[in-house]
Amino acid sequence: MTEDLVGQVVGTEDSTPLQFNVALREGAYLQLDDVVVTLREVPGIGPVMTSGVVTQVRARHEGASFGSDVFLISDGVLPAQVQEIAEVSTTRVEPEVYVPPRPGEVVRRAHGTERAQALYFDRMDSKVPVGRGRDGAPIFVNLDFLDGTRGAHVSISGISGVATKTSFALFLLHSIFRSGALGPRAVNAKALVFSVKGEDLLFLDQPNRRLDDDLLAEYAQLGLPAEPFASVGFYAPPMPDDLTGRPNVTGRTSGVEAFWWTIAEFCAQVLLPYVFADAEDERNQYTIVIHQVAARLRLDAVAYGDDGAVRIDDEVVTTYEGLVDVITERLTDEVTRQAWAGPVTGVGTINAFVRRMRSSVRPLRSLIRGDLGGAARKRVSTQDQQLTVVDLHNLQERAQRFVVGVVLAAETARKEAAGPGGLLFTMIDELNKYAPREGSSPIKEVLLDIAERGRSLGIILIGAQQTASEVERRIVSNSAIRVVGRLDPAEAGRTEYGFLPAQQRTRATLAKPGAMFVSQPEIPVPLAIEFPFPAWATRLAECAAPPRAPAAANGHSPNADVFRRLPDVDDDDIPPF
Amino acid sequence: MTGPGTGPVMRFSVDGWDPGYGTSSDPEEDLGESTARVDVTVEMPAARWRAVDPPPGLVPPAALLFVDGVRRVEARVWIDDETPDGTPAHEASAALCASYAAGVVCCCRGQAHLVQAEPRRGLFTVAAHAADIATWAGTYTAERTKPAAGRPLAQTLSQLLQGRLTELEVTVAVGARSALAGHGIGDGDDLLIVDGPLRQREHLPRALGYIKSHRSSYLPPDLNALVSTLAPGQRTPVFLMGTSWDRHSWYLRLPRTGGPPWAGVVRVECSADLAVADVIRLAGLSQTCLVRFSSTRYKDPRAPQNLYPISGLERELRRRLGDPRLLYRALSRSAAA
Repeated sequence: MTEDLVGQVVGTEDSTPLQFNVALREGAYLQLDDVVVTLREVPGIGPVMTSGVVTQVRARHEGASFGSDVFLISDGVLPAQVQEIAEVSTTRVEPEVYVPPRPGEVVRRAHGTERAQALYFDRMDSKVPVGRGRDGAPIFVNLDFLDGTRGAHVSISGISGVATKTSFALFLLHSIFRSGALGPRAVNAKALVFSVKGEDLLFLDQPNRRLDDDLLAEYAQLGLPAEPFASVGFYAPPMPDDLTGRPNVTGRTSGVEAFWWTIAEFCAQVLLPYVFADAEDERNQYTIVIHQVAARLRLDAVAYGDDGAVRIDDEVVTTYEGLVDVITERLTDEVTRQAWAGPVTGVGTINAFVRRMRSSVRPLRSLIRGDLGGAARKRVSTQDQQLTVVDLHNLQERAQRFVVGVVLAAETARKEAAGPGGLLFTMIDELNKYAPREGSSPIKEVLLDIAERGRSLGIILIGAQQTASEVERRIVSNSAIRVVGRLDPAEAGRTEYGFLPAQQRTRATLAKPGAMFVSQPEIPVPLAIEFPFPAWATRLAECAAPPRAPAAANGHSPNADVFRRLPDVDDDDIPPF
Repeated sequence: MTGPGTGPVMRFSVDGWDPGYGTSSDPEEDLGESTARVDVTVEMPAARWRAVDPPPGLVPPAALLFVDGVRRVEARVWIDDETPDGTPAHEASAALCASYAAGVVCCCRGQAHLVQAEPRRGLFTVAAHAADIATWAGTYTAERTKPAAGRPLAQTLSQLLQGRLTELEVTVAVGARSALAGHGIGDGDDLLIVDGPLRQREHLPRALGYIKSHRSSYLPPDLNALVSTLAPGQRTPVFLMGTSWDRHSWYLRLPRTGGPPWAGVVRVECSADLAVADVIRLAGLSQTCLVRFSSTRYKDPRAPQNLYPISGLERELRRRLGDPRLLYRALSRSAAA
């Protein structure tokens, strides 16, 4: 135990109940994020334990007054002593008597129970491991703040590519599902992941071939199995200009299902507002036309055939382009204009609508179809598997917004109808695209609804963004767990990161991949963690074996008939391993 | 606080004046004894006197020990005279409460480190019944002396304090020598440099006295002129001087940048009992060793004479004397008790 005695509280700097400094004894060291504890006897109360996290360590020459004295000291000319002082931010005072640790009190490195106490792990009924601290021991997040019991939603910020936001979000999901913290609720817990960065997430059900003994041990230390996700459904948009309904992916040839909406669904479910980025913005006149046209489509479009086409006043519409043509025609025709655009809408407003409608053809025509075989189609749904990955990377931003908005609205409606039985974790990357700080859109409304009401519905938002300052404030402020990876220095200075102490903000600008700062409501200091390398493949080259259809995708493979129509691609395209 | 034995309680009060007022002049230096006997022919005849260059190839000792002491008067106190029946006295005698410390810095193997530091506190008085003063910030040990006729009391007390400090310096110097054996310095492979005159410490082997400032000219004027022509590292030939005590001495020029003719000149002394060859060897060593430690003007107002290890040592010793305001408060409280 004596090596745990790292030093004593200094008296040359103010010691306060919330922050104090520790002079380190010869041969001892403290690094940032180390957990320490000190005891003080308070008359009439007994021992008061103050525990905290090291937030800064300084070393200096005592006895030197000039910068150049260091040369004299190194030459053996001037006597001096090197002294290290660690600054400690208090995390917990037990019992709650807020007295400063007195100078001279002995400070110990905290282990085991003391460390758990210092970081409130002892008070967490169910805890989810999120990684290891700098001391190598696990760091937990209270499940109560993840599952909606006392709070919900996770906000992850950081520079793309370095901050490993998506990897952390997936690790968090793995941990939630597999740590046992959810108990029997794990069965009904689902996750919906929107993937915007290439095909990285299409191999989540494959073991990573880089999984070695060290990584296995790391997972074991966190109490997690080093396994890929067991039950995953992959969805990708269909190939454009291809009538077979083949998913538009290249790396993985099996187990990915194509998703699209039929023209009939588009009309009947009133999906038109999701085509526009600012459909709810009252400053724009043309938004009136959107709702008018959407209502018209709902009333006038009649399903036609098996492939999801519609008939509008004897005109059969099988493509999105065709639908836009019909709408444009109705709006420009003097006779039908009043019914389709509203009685008093001016031509300028109608033209503004038509212009925007036209520009949506290119991004959306592969997603809204009436020309593909209906039997092969699978709706994006989280019902049949634990983890649902929707690949958006081949879509333009406007189409991405459409998919996220429509899928989330559908899932929210489904959860609302089903009641708060299970949990649905929704992971959205680049949240600033869908819920920007300025403006209003149906997608943003859906996300705001989730942020504010999702806690009671059982929908938990895991939002990732480069810059939290560009995301709607109400979404960020509703997140109970805030996670920061490497930050841009200019971004780190913004008020959205006020939960990070100044010193950690600076550190966040140099955080390595795999290192994050996790802030949770119970612990006053964000904790630095490192989460392990994924146990699942993140690219084709990492797959231990060629990916096959997910085993748990409900037994049947709805793609079978899609591929029957295709030329035989099979194993020839799979790169050799 | 009780006196020695079972005497009555010693009563005293603390002078409200800052102890810095009215203290005697710095007794470290010899006070202008121009009547010194000087023998300038120890190393070479007076006619051949010239600046001596550092001897080439002289290997410096493995360890250099710098000894110094600091003193600080914490308060002037008045000790009430004894009255036979214990009634309040009408007369009091002045005394000094002082802190003093001596220490040794060892420069060896590219490292300067403190090997000894001894802080002490004392009550310096001529009152025969004076007893130790215990405060919560330390105990002032009573140091009694007899008043000297024809000499101001303040000077008597100051000399008593200086005497105790010198004793302490000898103690730490001897202690440091024995501590050296512990860290691998060969027996005798060291040189002791005492800040100030070597008086009362001449018996220490391999010891040099190091005098930074000059109040008197000891050399005859024609030889004295040589001092101002010394180049950095050069010294005058050794001469024997006797004031109240005898010692060998020489002047040495430290590196300096400009300044008056005597800038950077120090006087080094060693025991008078040494053989001339040993003295010349020590003088050579002083040239080889000391130059390296001389300070620069912007870092030390007493540059270059105030050597870096000594200024570091003084700073450390002063720190160990404690905070003067705190000590004064502790003394006042004890006086009121």
